[in-house]
Amino acid sequence: MNCDFCHISEATVHLIKIQDTNVERINICKECAKDLSFLSEEDFYNDVARILYRFFNIGTDRHRYSRDKKILRDISYGRNRKCSFCGIDLKTIKKIGKVGCSNCYNEFKDILFPIIKSIHGGLENKGKIPVNTSRKIKLEKNIRDLRNKLKNEVIIENFEEAAKIRDKIKKLEKNIYGR
Amino acid sequence: MADKNFYLLENRTRKRRPVSNKNKIILNTRVRLARNLADCKFASISSSQEKNILLKEIKEYVGNIKEFKDFRFYSIKSMGKIQRDLLLKDYMVSHKIANKMQGKGLFVRSGTDWGESSVIIVNHEDHLRIQSARPDLNILEAYHEVLKIEKYFEKKLSFAFDRNLGYLTASPVNLGTALRVSVTAHLPVLAVSPGIADFVKKLNQVGCLINGYFVGHSEIIGNLFKISNQVTLGKGEEGIVEEMQAICLNIIDDEEIARRKLRESDLLGIKDNIYRSFGLLKYAKILSYEESLELLSIIRLGLDLDIISGINDFDFFELISRINDSHIVSDLEISGRVTDDQLDSIRADLIRKKILKEAD
Repeated sequence: MNCDFCHISEATVHLIKIQDTNVERINICKECAKDLSFLSEEDFYNDVARILYRFFNIGTDRHRYSRDKKILRDISYGRNRKCSFCGIDLKTIKKIGKVGCSNCYNEFKDILFPIIKSIHGGLENKGKIPVNTSRKIKLEKNIRDLRNKLKNEVIIENFEEAAKIRDKIKKLEKNIYGR
Repeated sequence: MADKNFYLLENRTRKRRPVSNKNKIILNTRVRLARNLADCKFASISSSQEKNILLKEIKEYVGNIKEFKDFRFYSIKSMGKIQRDLLLKDYMVSHKIANKMQGKGLFVRSGTDWGESSVIIVNHEDHLRIQSARPDLNILEAYHEVLKIEKYFEKKLSFAFDRNLGYLTASPVNLGTALRVSVTAHLPVLAVSPGIADFVKKLNQVGCLINGYFVGHSEIIGNLFKISNQVTLGKGEEGIVEEMQAICLNIIDDEEIARRKLRESDLLGIKDNIYRSFGLLKYAKILSYEESLELLSIIRLGLDLDIISGINDFDFFELISRINDSHIVSDLEISGRVTDDQLDSIRADLIRKKILKEAD
C-alpha cells in the first residue's frame, strides 16, 4: 500500500480512527512520518505514533483533513524557501523545530499558522503585551478584554454592568478609529 | 571555584516557611517565561559571536540593576562538567543547554528555602528565559517572581511581539504568553493503579502534558511525573496560572482518593511492599540511583500513610537531588575516577544516614 501523502513510498504506519459510524484510515510512509515531526518539541513529540495520532486528531473532518495533507505537501515542496531577514530555510526550521527570527512567522505564514493553530487551538493572543508597544495595540487589547467581559456579564444576565462595559468599548473604539 | 557549595548564597537568614513533607504530592513548581529581542536573529540560529555580544549586554545590564545584585552569573561554557551538571539539576534548567555552549549563560539566585530559586537563562533557544521555582505547589508566587524580573528587562529591551501571536519565540509551541508552568508530582499509588490511563487522558483533555520526570527514560522512575501546560497562545497569563493551580489540586485529590482506596482494599499488601523497600534500603550495600528512587518513593508513601516508623521525615525531592551522581562526586570531592559500584555504595550509605533514625 502506498503512502497517503507522497503516494510513492510504501506505507509502514497505519492508523484507523472510528468516530460514530465514520471510519477513517491513514497510511503513511517513514519519510512522511518524519515530515510530521515538524511539530517536534522536547520529548513529547518525538514519539512518532503520538505525532501521527495528534496529526490525525487535527483533521477530524474531511475538509480539514485534506487541508492538513496540503500543508504537508507544501512543506516537502517548499523546502528551499528562505526567510528574507535571517536566511533560514523551511527545511532547517523543520529539522530543528524552531524558527530563526520574528520575520519567519510572517514569511512562512501559510505553513506555520495552521501548525500553530493545531498546537494552540487558535491564533489570538490573550496574554499581556509589552509596555512599549504602540498605543493602538494596547487599546485594541483593552477592547478585546472588555468584549470578553461583556460576554460573561450577558451570560449571567448582569445587564447593568454589561451596558457600562458596552459604553466603555464604544468610547475606546472612537479613540482608535475616530468614529 | 573549588568550594563544593560554590553557588550557594551565604546569607540564608530569612525564616524558613513551614513546609510539611507529609502528604506532599506536588513536590515543586516551576514557572518559565520566554522572551526574544525584536529585530534580532533568535538564539536558535544566531552565531556564537552574536550570542556573545548579547550575553555581554545582558550581563552589563543585570550588573547595573540594584535588585539583581544577588544574582550570580555562570558561563555555561567555562564550567566543569560536574559543576555544570549540578547547577542545571539544582536549578532545574534543561540539560539541552549543554549542547553548543558558546555564548550561553545563567544568572541564578537561590531563595531562602531549598528548592526556591530564580534563574535567567540567556541564549538557550530564546534570548531570555526567566524561570522561578518553588519547593511546593505555589504557582502564583513563582509567576509573580518571573513577572517582576521580566519588568526590569522590559524597561530597557524591546521584545519581539505580534498582536496576534503574542510574544514571539523560537519554537511555535511557546508563542503567545510564552508562559510554561510545570510541576513535579509524586504519585506512587496512582501510578500503579488501573486508573492511571484515565488520569493521563483526563490531563491531556484539559491541555496538559504529562511525562516521566526524568527526561530520556521511557519508564517512570520513582513515581515522579512532570505535568505542564501545553497551550500558551489564546489564554491569558492569569488564566493559565489559575487553571494549572486547579488542575494540581485535582491531581492531589485523585492521588489521595487512590491512597485511601488502596488502604481500605489491600492494607496488608501495601504494608508488605513498604517494609520490603525498607529492608532493601536498610541492608543493601549497592544502590543505583533508579533503584533508590523507587524505594524512597515507597518509603515516603509509608510515612504519608503512617504505616512505617523509625524513619526520619524527609523531603523526597530534596533527598533525591542530594543522592544523584554529580552531587555525590562533588560533595565528597572525590578526585580521580570513581567506579559505578563505588558511587552506588556511597549512595546506599548516604541514604541510610539520612533516613534511619538509629544509624548503626
